[in-house]
Amino acid sequence: MSVTFSSKQKEIATQHTRCSRGVSVAIKSVSIAFGGRTVLENFDVEVSAGEFVAIVGRSGCGKSTLLRSVAGLETPQSGTIIVADPADYVTKAHGKPDVRVMFQDSRLLPWRRILPNVMLGLEPALIPQARKVLAQVGLAERADDWPATLSGGQRQRVALARALVHDPNLLLLDEPLGSLDALTRIEMQQLIEDVWRGRGFTAMLVTHDVAEAISLADRVILIEGGRVALDEIVNLPRPRTRGSARFAALEERILGRVLQRRPAVEDHW
Amino acid sequence: MNQPQKHPPVKTQLRPGILAKQALPWIVPVALLIAWQWASSAGILPGRFLPSPRAVVSSFIELSASGELWMHVRVSTLRALSGFVVGGGVGLLLGLLTASLRWAEVLLDTTIQMVRNIPPLALIPLVILWFGIDESAKLFLVALGVFFPIYINTFHGIRSVDRGLLEMGRTYGLSGWALYREIILPGALPSILVGVRFSLGLMWVILIVAETISARSGIGYMTMNAREFMQTDVMVVGILLYAILGKLADLLAKALERYWLRWNPAYQTAR
Repeated sequence: MSVTFSSKQKEIATQHTRCSRGVSVAIKSVSIAFGGRTVLENFDVEVSAGEFVAIVGRSGCGKSTLLRSVAGLETPQSGTIIVADPADYVTKAHGKPDVRVMFQDSRLLPWRRILPNVMLGLEPALIPQARKVLAQVGLAERADDWPATLSGGQRQRVALARALVHDPNLLLLDEPLGSLDALTRIEMQQLIEDVWRGRGFTAMLVTHDVAEAISLADRVILIEGGRVALDEIVNLPRPRTRGSARFAALEERILGRVLQRRPAVEDHW
Repeated sequence: MNQPQKHPPVKTQLRPGILAKQALPWIVPVALLIAWQWASSAGILPGRFLPSPRAVVSSFIELSASGELWMHVRVSTLRALSGFVVGGGVGLLLGLLTASLRWAEVLLDTTIQMVRNIPPLALIPLVILWFGIDESAKLFLVALGVFFPIYINTFHGIRSVDRGLLEMGRTYGLSGWALYREIILPGALPSILVGVRFSLGLMWVILIVAETISARSGIGYMTMNAREFMQTDVMVVGILLYAILGKLADLLAKALERYWLRWNPAYQTAR
């Protein structure tokens, strides 16, 4: 049945990328090395405004480093990273594009209750806004609780709310669902997708889960040996169902590419 | 009357458990007290070595009725607290400074670590020479004693603040004082409070010794003065006062922990 709807939903999928809130990211010949070990070498990637890009790869391939340098948490040895605003929407109204990061751990302040955590770095006048976002992630009634009393999935939802309340132009997701159980992951993926479709920011998701990348992203980029090994457009209608044949075929192809260079496993098999 | 007997068995089973739990810690002290009183009245324990509990109690009543006791308690408490505020305050500030600024650590930490290894009480002869036996001598000794636990724990607390939280704070635009207030200070607080508890214990120890050696008032003076006249009962009252004041200081520190660290499950009161 997905076939009959596919063309219409593809249209919706392309519509949201035209939304004016998102900013574009241009990563040009970026090289990063830690202690003599090159992590990224002459790395080029372009992300257009409003696009959802997933970056996959084996652990240690530099995907997190890439995201962290876009966030400004790492400084590349060479190359440029430009977060630009093609429609000039943001820069005219608010000055600098707003970039927010969601980490693998929620990084909530344990000594602040949930609402103040969401309010971090904001004026008290924005409390209604924070409450609204907290309700959007389904945690309105936990506003006055301590983070220690929340489950891992709930804490990540608070972290998402904390990022969203700033109304970001670019949301960087550094394996934010990596430590969650399977059911909570799927729930969170749906939440992230809904929020992204509703708001139209640009999203970059780092994950080791290829299925997660395919179910969320417009484009999946595979990093290997510090370079782009695969850059695949996911042309599937949203919301995506994991069971579909095209989904499975794409997952198979990307996984196959990831596993290709693993001599130890090949020998074993 | 017969009606309520239908369900209470569960309750009656629980009751003795709770009572026993609350009485248990006091069995040994009460038994010791009884043994002490018995030994005194039987003449096994001569009054010039150790007065009977009854003599201690009557001496306590006498001293507090005359107001002498409260005068000494007030003087001692004032000394202890002002020394704590001065030494603790300086320790906190220097700890914050050396932990936050690299050059301050390089400049000061070696010196502080050297001075730390001198027992404050070893300075008593010098301190008497410098300040005489008036208030400033006691203040100086107490301040010096409480300085180090607070300094070291503040330094350690700030250095061990979660790097991930600092990074997150910076991505949310926090810097300078805001970063300090939101992340660094609350993160260091558990460690700082450990330093406070250490200091409060040390505070009394140093004050007792300082007052015993050179003072004209205070609990230590009262105790030493009583020795001159062989008033063992007054001496015991003084010693017990220190125990009570020390316990009060510890309760205060615990209350602070419970309030400031209420976000931490480890400090939440089991109810």
